[in-house]
Amino acid sequence: MNDLLAFSVFGVDWQFLKPFIVIGLAFGGVYALSGVGLVVLYRATGVLNLAFGAIGAAGALIAYYIVNHTSWPHWLAYTICIAFGGVTNLAYGMIFGPAFARRDALVKMMGTLGLALILLGLMAWRAPAGGAFARFLPLGTTQTRYEILKTSVSLTQIIAICLALAITAGVSIFLRVTSLGTAMRALANDRETTAMLGVPVRKVEAAAWFGSGLACGAAGLILPDLLTSLDYSALTFLVISSLAAALIGRLRSLWVTMFGGLAVGVAQSVLSPYTNVSAYRSAAPFVLAIVALLYLSRRRVVTFSRTAN
Amino acid sequence: MRSKRFKVGVTSTIVAVLALTVTVSLASSAGTVGSGTASATKSVCGKGTGKKATGTPIKLGGIDMLIPGVDFTTIGKTAKAYFDCVNDNGGISGRPIKYTLYSEQLNPAQEAALARKLIESDKVVGVVGNTSFAECGTNWKYYKSKGYVVIGAGVQAECYSTPSFAEVNSGPRYSNVGAAQALIKAGAKKLAIASPDTISAYADGGPALVAKAAGIPVKIFPTHLPVTDATSQLLQMYQFAGDGGGILIDFTPDTAPAFMKAAEAQGIVDKVLWGSSTPIANTFMSGQFSPEFDGHLWIDNEFSNVDPKVGPDSALMFQVLSKYASKIAPQAFAQMGFLAGKFAVNALLSIKGPITAKSYNIAVKGLKNQKTDILCKPFYVGNLAYHIPNNTNIIVDYKNKNVVVRSGCTDFQAVDKSISQTRVWEKKYHLNGQ
Repeated sequence: MNDLLAFSVFGVDWQFLKPFIVIGLAFGGVYALSGVGLVVLYRATGVLNLAFGAIGAAGALIAYYIVNHTSWPHWLAYTICIAFGGVTNLAYGMIFGPAFARRDALVKMMGTLGLALILLGLMAWRAPAGGAFARFLPLGTTQTRYEILKTSVSLTQIIAICLALAITAGVSIFLRVTSLGTAMRALANDRETTAMLGVPVRKVEAAAWFGSGLACGAAGLILPDLLTSLDYSALTFLVISSLAAALIGRLRSLWVTMFGGLAVGVAQSVLSPYTNVSAYRSAAPFVLAIVALLYLSRRRVVTFSRTAN
Repeated sequence: MRSKRFKVGVTSTIVAVLALTVTVSLASSAGTVGSGTASATKSVCGKGTGKKATGTPIKLGGIDMLIPGVDFTTIGKTAKAYFDCVNDNGGISGRPIKYTLYSEQLNPAQEAALARKLIESDKVVGVVGNTSFAECGTNWKYYKSKGYVVIGAGVQAECYSTPSFAEVNSGPRYSNVGAAQALIKAGAKKLAIASPDTISAYADGGPALVAKAAGIPVKIFPTHLPVTDATSQLLQMYQFAGDGGGILIDFTPDTAPAFMKAAEAQGIVDKVLWGSSTPIANTFMSGQFSPEFDGHLWIDNEFSNVDPKVGPDSALMFQVLSKYASKIAPQAFAQMGFLAGKFAVNALLSIKGPITAKSYNIAVKGLKNQKTDILCKPFYVGNLAYHIPNNTNIIVDYKNKNVVVRSGCTDFQAVDKSISQTRVWEKKYHLNGQ
């Protein structure tokens, strides 16, 4: 049996490659979770939220302080981290959403970039990086490890992958079955008509902002454990890989986004042992996004026309 | 009669006020850190008079790098804490030291501008406590042109190969050399080394030479900061080193923990021999990674163990940090700042006549045989083409959340000609008591 598994993939022993696949799938799970959150929000409000990573990082920092500087139970810190994502996203959406509602997508997106920079500044101010320490937010589930196909897998890694699957499935069902979900889909298709039909647009948008924020908080909670450090600048740029996943899903399909996220995570991780290309693996998210977009639009016909004066 | 009562009353009041003043004065001087008379068992700040310096300030300044994943400002801040202690103990002939610390973000243009600002605008007489990945390379010619010799803590090659710097530490290259020597002596048959990519060629080149000289395969893993995939990189290093091999990490306490946590998560702590340069040799780190790493570490420490019991300078450093910089944990960077501050003050105190940039930097060059329990051998500067006064280190490990000494002061291998030349100069000019 061992002999059967003793093969190499482009010169790297399969046995050695397996842990990288597990790490990549776990990171991919977080990218998928964030990507699904981005897509849901974009479909309901037309906003591509660039503050996704920064909100998750701020929630994780709050949880870190609760865990390390108070006697509060850890589960409460984790809950606050997730709730912070939901509440902050909701607050931004409710305060700035109406003001940006009639502006084009680029302006809406730049508004969220402002939020990201404000949060990044606040984190740098209140919790400056450096000094003789590093911050950690380890989850208790990391101590529980399983041997799967002779590869050590932590419960946190399993949770990251399963959570992405569960959230994608749950949100897909929610959008199809519930009236709120139907309203969100209607908003995504035609905002003006949906509003004219009496759908409470503000409420539907609020639900999207809040739900998407919860996903962002959950990602902020899991990622520091996978990164083995709570580096808020690294967490803030989580949005890049998540954006790539969302682009692979063309900002529409939740399932393609999820698989895109997993693919991005695995590609980034599996390229590590290949010395010749490992330095370029940070480009993997957008290389994958470009390849996917080209492939998915291969049968599309683009027609240009000009109207005479 | 009334006048007599009045005189008695006034006299009693004056006596009471004087008594109170003397009592308060005695009480405050008894509690002053760094005061008293220096001896073999007691170190003081400057002259240790216990009196606050009030004269015209003497200006010193420094530049430390601060980027995500690396904070060197601890060094300048500790030097400032020492200067504050000196200022509370008579200063330099009654004059306080005014220390200005700038931080830079690994930006050569910024480094060059700050050096010029310090010397030309702020008009500092000396530059003290500098540490950066790149500042030595950027500014050494400028400092040389102005006649300045910086007492700081070095990182890159120019800190140890130009006349402009006298570093209190060995730097990552030589600290890694010491760690590599220890790992090979402990039985490592392969060596995987990681440093920040900006200094990797210099810092990892030394231990690579040690491994090659011992006939051991070696591989370098330049690491971009901040680290975002410590687990993946660690697995790569483990793949190369194999069971029983050596993994040498050269990172500050901001970054090293990510690799150590990843090692714990992957269950490979006891499968390899772990080497490190100095920055993780402190109780803050051992508190986090003991007992998991106990007995598995060969950390090269450029200084004595961080322990107030080591000697009077170590004890004073703990007191200074406690009073003047309570947010800074006792650690190697604090030792660097303390020593830089101490030697700069010794140079200032040795000046006869006006304190100017010229007289201070001449005094710095005159420093030799500066004994301290924080270093294996006395510190010196001298009028040399380059300075590597700290070329003897110790090896430490973690045990029961403390840092313990594995092996005492040992000369690190002379992988560069400059090391052997330095040891020749030390004997020839009697720079450190040899």
